[in-house]
Amino acid sequence: MNLNLRTKLALKIQHMIGWITFPAWGGVLIALMRFVARYRIPQLREIRRQYKEIKKSTTQPIVICSNHLTKIDSIIINWSFASVWSYMRSFKYFSWNLPERANFYRNIVLRVLCYLGSCIPVDRGGDREAVKKSLDKLAWLLKKGHTITIFPEGTRSRTGRINPEGVAYGVGRLVRAVENCKVVCVYLRSHSQDTYSGIPKRGSEFYLTMEAVEPKTEHSGLRATRDIAFQIIEKLKEMEQEYFDRLGQGSMENSYA
Amino acid sequence: MTQDEVFSKVVSILTKYSKADVAESDIKMETSILDDLKVNSARLVDIVLDFEDMFDIEVEDEDADKVRTVADCVELIMSKQ
Repeated sequence: MNLNLRTKLALKIQHMIGWITFPAWGGVLIALMRFVARYRIPQLREIRRQYKEIKKSTTQPIVICSNHLTKIDSIIINWSFASVWSYMRSFKYFSWNLPERANFYRNIVLRVLCYLGSCIPVDRGGDREAVKKSLDKLAWLLKKGHTITIFPEGTRSRTGRINPEGVAYGVGRLVRAVENCKVVCVYLRSHSQDTYSGIPKRGSEFYLTMEAVEPKTEHSGLRATRDIAFQIIEKLKEMEQEYFDRLGQGSMENSYA
Repeated sequence: MTQDEVFSKVVSILTKYSKADVAESDIKMETSILDDLKVNSARLVDIVLDFEDMFDIEVEDEDADKVRTVADCVELIMSKQ
């Protein structure tokens, strides 16, 4: 992991500007989700309590690994995990993420929002050295105590279910690069989300579960990278199965956690 | 193992992952894995792991990052043997 001083400084400045301006754009974003899109997270308090417990239980950096169905999953996760005030107190917990450049860097408004919202653009499926540069930035941020959200599937699932076929191993590499980092697996889904989409439907209610894991592997090198990525994907598949089991039993309203 | 033998085995592995309509005979040393064979970069790890199994070598992430063409694969394998 070789980040030059300029890159480190650029990340620090991005973080600081994001934090200073957060009350404005963060508040507007949440207001848009709540009152315009009418999104709801019925178990919001419980989700925040759980995440707080996980944060309290560790001094290690946190990598949030989620399934991926819409372009705003990382925003919903950040909204779910803490209040605007909490992020104001400690903006390091507002997670960085890696949006695809082709989707999010098309115009100046999106570029600015992504910059403020702790995004590092990546060209998926592109040159491995370019992907590595983005992963190096994330690894450095993790070591500095920041939180990262990453989507191990690499892209939004075209089937609407966890897609192990397309798994990107970057997550395994990141976990290997940062010793003892804690992985929080997140399964996020709106009940009205059948398959992938740009943004969730208006009035969507979100289900979110989380589970902290510390992937271990006996392998080394690239095989270790792949093994860790597979362990995380398997956990997400389990969580997805649990979602559909609950949905089938009609027990969604009683318990999300 | 000679360079030609390595090349031939590399091509057989690459064609498993290629999404392009390319015949094995059209694959040359200068063929780009991502651009010409349309292999997703995420699958490059699987390809390199197949190399590890086939040639009984071990490749680090950093070495795998440098692989862009068939020639890069052949050189990587030859250097590890």
